[in-house]
Amino acid sequence: MASITLKNVFKIYPDGFTAVNDLSLEIRDREFVVLVGPSGCGKSTTLRMIAGLEEISKGELYIGDRLVNSIAPKDRDIAMVFQSYALYPDKTVYKNISFGLERRKTPKDEIEKRVMQAAKILDIEHLLNRKPRALSGGQRQRVALGRAIVRSPSVFLFDEPLSNLDAKLRTAMRSEITKLHKNLDATFIYVTHDQTEAMTMGDRIVVMRDGVVQQVAKPQELYDAPRNMFVAGFIGSPQMNFVDAVLRNKNGRVFAAVKDDAVLLPENEKFKALPDGKKVKLGIRPENIVTEKERFAPDEPVLHGKVDICELMGSEVFLYIDCKGTRLTVRAPSYSAPKADEEVFFQFDRNKLHLFDAETEEVIR
Amino acid sequence: MRKNLKKYYPVFVLPTTASFFIAFVFPFLAGIVLSFTKFTTVTNAKWVGLQNYIKAFSNEDFVNALWFTVKFTIVSVITINIIAFALALLLTRSIKGTNIFRTVFFMPNLIGGIVLGYIWLLIINGVLQFFGVTVTYDASYGFWGLVILTNWQLIGYMMIIYIAGIQNIPTDLIDAAKVDGAGFWGILRHVIIPMVMPSVTICLFLTITNSFKLFDANLALTDGAPGRETSMLALDIYKTFYARTGWQGVGQAKAVVFFIILAAIALIQLALTRRKEVEA
Amino acid sequence: MTKTRTGLGHALAYVILILMSVIFLAPVFIVLFNSFKSKLYITSEPFRLPTAETFAGLENYFSGLAKTDFFSAFGRSLFITVFSVAAIVLFTSMTAWYITRVKNRFTSFLYYAFVFSMIVPFQMVMFTMVKTANALHLDNLWGIIVIYLGFGAGLSVFMFSGFVKSVPIEIEEAAMIDGCGPIRTFFLVVFPIMKPTAITVAILNAMWIWNDYLLPYLVIGTDYKTIPIAIQYLRGGYGSIDMGAMMAMLVLAIIPIVIFYLFCQKYIIKGVVAGAVKG
Repeated sequence: MASITLKNVFKIYPDGFTAVNDLSLEIRDREFVVLVGPSGCGKSTTLRMIAGLEEISKGELYIGDRLVNSIAPKDRDIAMVFQSYALYPDKTVYKNISFGLERRKTPKDEIEKRVMQAAKILDIEHLLNRKPRALSGGQRQRVALGRAIVRSPSVFLFDEPLSNLDAKLRTAMRSEITKLHKNLDATFIYVTHDQTEAMTMGDRIVVMRDGVVQQVAKPQELYDAPRNMFVAGFIGSPQMNFVDAVLRNKNGRVFAAVKDDAVLLPENEKFKALPDGKKVKLGIRPENIVTEKERFAPDEPVLHGKVDICELMGSEVFLYIDCKGTRLTVRAPSYSAPKADEEVFFQFDRNKLHLFDAETEEVIR
Repeated sequence: MRKNLKKYYPVFVLPTTASFFIAFVFPFLAGIVLSFTKFTTVTNAKWVGLQNYIKAFSNEDFVNALWFTVKFTIVSVITINIIAFALALLLTRSIKGTNIFRTVFFMPNLIGGIVLGYIWLLIINGVLQFFGVTVTYDASYGFWGLVILTNWQLIGYMMIIYIAGIQNIPTDLIDAAKVDGAGFWGILRHVIIPMVMPSVTICLFLTITNSFKLFDANLALTDGAPGRETSMLALDIYKTFYARTGWQGVGQAKAVVFFIILAAIALIQLALTRRKEVEA
Repeated sequence: MTKTRTGLGHALAYVILILMSVIFLAPVFIVLFNSFKSKLYITSEPFRLPTAETFAGLENYFSGLAKTDFFSAFGRSLFITVFSVAAIVLFTSMTAWYITRVKNRFTSFLYYAFVFSMIVPFQMVMFTMVKTANALHLDNLWGIIVIYLGFGAGLSVFMFSGFVKSVPIEIEEAAMIDGCGPIRTFFLVVFPIMKPTAITVAILNAMWIWNDYLLPYLVIGTDYKTIPIAIQYLRGGYGSIDMGAMMAMLVLAIIPIVIFYLFCQKYIIKGVVAGAVKG
């Protein structure tokens, strides 16, 4: 049983800086949880507190049913993979992997069995006698993984393990770590600043900012229903468009006035209750802006703007549109796309609109 | 982790720190205090204020030793660095056998001052006997003897540092200078010398402090003779302590002055290095 | 045209280098062949090779050994150098790791005190150090190791600290997760990484301690002579020197250094450069 529970956890440094602010989180046994956020958001600090490398200033941390606040890292039944891999430079790959087992007085033949097993899983059997210096980045990464899995801990902690790899290797390792999670009976906690990694790997994602948890949700839910503008902007690439708007309440129908145009909002009791003239932000993802005339909804206003830049991605294009001073990113199929400097007409897909309070930046729904 | 390690200070810092206090911190502080007292053993010290310092500077031997040391240092620093740099230039050309030469030139650096002193006592007296004199006949013989000896000892060391500096110059830079039409002297002046300035600072500092602190070879080669004319500062301080009863306080005052001079040199070197780092 | 010029340049370079090599090696060879001449001829014609008339066999060696008890001195020098260097490498590396990793007022004070001690000349603490050593009964072969550790700590701590700062702390954290306490982390993980610096520190200190004259002379010199003390001892009370015995003892003093140098040349040159650049 390796569920992890954080109860009102704080990390406050001696200089008064609060790195983690009142974090409560329950991670189920064998779950794959990703902590994501921009640098300095407290995600790594949280991970290091779980590892026991960083002291918890306030709050409680349980692994299973055990309160582990004051328990040494080595006794927490965890393994950690570092961003810099942190391989022992003077030791061979074999020694790097077996080191933790030796410290735990595992019998020698058992050590050998488990090292070979781990090496086989990670396909590094031919590297066992080399020193880290003689390995490529991807190979070092595998050794670091090997060092973690050989001990079969109940919790794996990953601190941005892929950020030092090139794009191609990163994609490959991503699926390997996912596969590893399926094959091992362990809880994975994974820290990254890369939303793609978070979306593709996690069972659940914890989005953090300035030491505060913004939202905890499954990837799809996070994408479809972000709780605030920060999460909406952080998850998804290209980024969600935000448009300043003013709410207009006419005869029970709610519009968002964007400059001279008005966008009809979906039926929603919450919207109706809002005061006329309230400042809001409209959020719309690039793929939810419709540019094909045949898909336009007949009863809705059509907006228009000028294409600034057109980036061809292959099957689709990214259009950067200047709409009366507001920049919009649109993702459109390449066959129907307008060219740069052309006038373009478009509609927002009404059902995919997100409405945020302009002051609190919280979602309204 | 920090907290965990913290408890282990008796293992990690105590042995070094205790020895450091015995061999350095306490003697250093006591030395400063004693320089203001008159004493023969540490227990019978009597406060005399600045009297020791006044005595030190009105002591002809000390003033003489100070000038001798300064002159010696200037001459040695110039000769050592010029010869070492020239050798480094020769040994960084693409010629064969550089390793053997490097080995030969560096070897004297490993020989201690006492042994060095007697090796050169033999040679210098051997040469001087053609003129019917010995090294202790005139102070200038001792002076040049010490210069030659120090050159022999330190040239190889400085050469190694210059070689490292020259080898650190990117070949692109030298190639670029060649393409721009610079000849050997042009490359030397506009590429090599500016690029090895950090090594120059290091070598100057090392040669200055080494020359200033010279003791063993001084003791072995001339022992200050004739009279005390070829005594350098370190030897003069030593003799004030151990060859003149009642003058321990003055010896200690001289030692403090000696320390201040060396500290000043170190600070200048530090400031120079810092400034270079800012510029770079 | 360029080719002949470089050819000429190379030839000139060789001439200069060979000439310099002769100048650098000659003193040692002169001492060597003089050590086999009888002492009268050493002073009167030091640059002549031994002839049938001047050859004295090993006579100088026997008289020198008898006068200086050279082999005991050699044993003491070896003992002091080996154990002092071992103590310095072991304890100062531990201290450097601790004061770099545990940051508080005490450790940063220590660090600056160590750095400061590097610029203080021996004469400054000579008298008081010797008195302290006497008072604490450190004036013997074991005690002087403590003195060397204390007086040599500055440079060594400084060099190790410089290296520790470059070791990524994640490696030590990985070791902790792998189950090491501070002591194991240091000896099984940190120290092996520091090996190149340890070699540099060992060589610099070995060169210093082996050749050191004044410190051992003042602390233990009357009872226990090291090689430099034994050689200086050959200078008689009024400056008269038995040049025969002296030449022989100089040869014996140089031999171990040359052997050591030829075996560890690579490390010595590297270590000296590293030491200079950091110091």
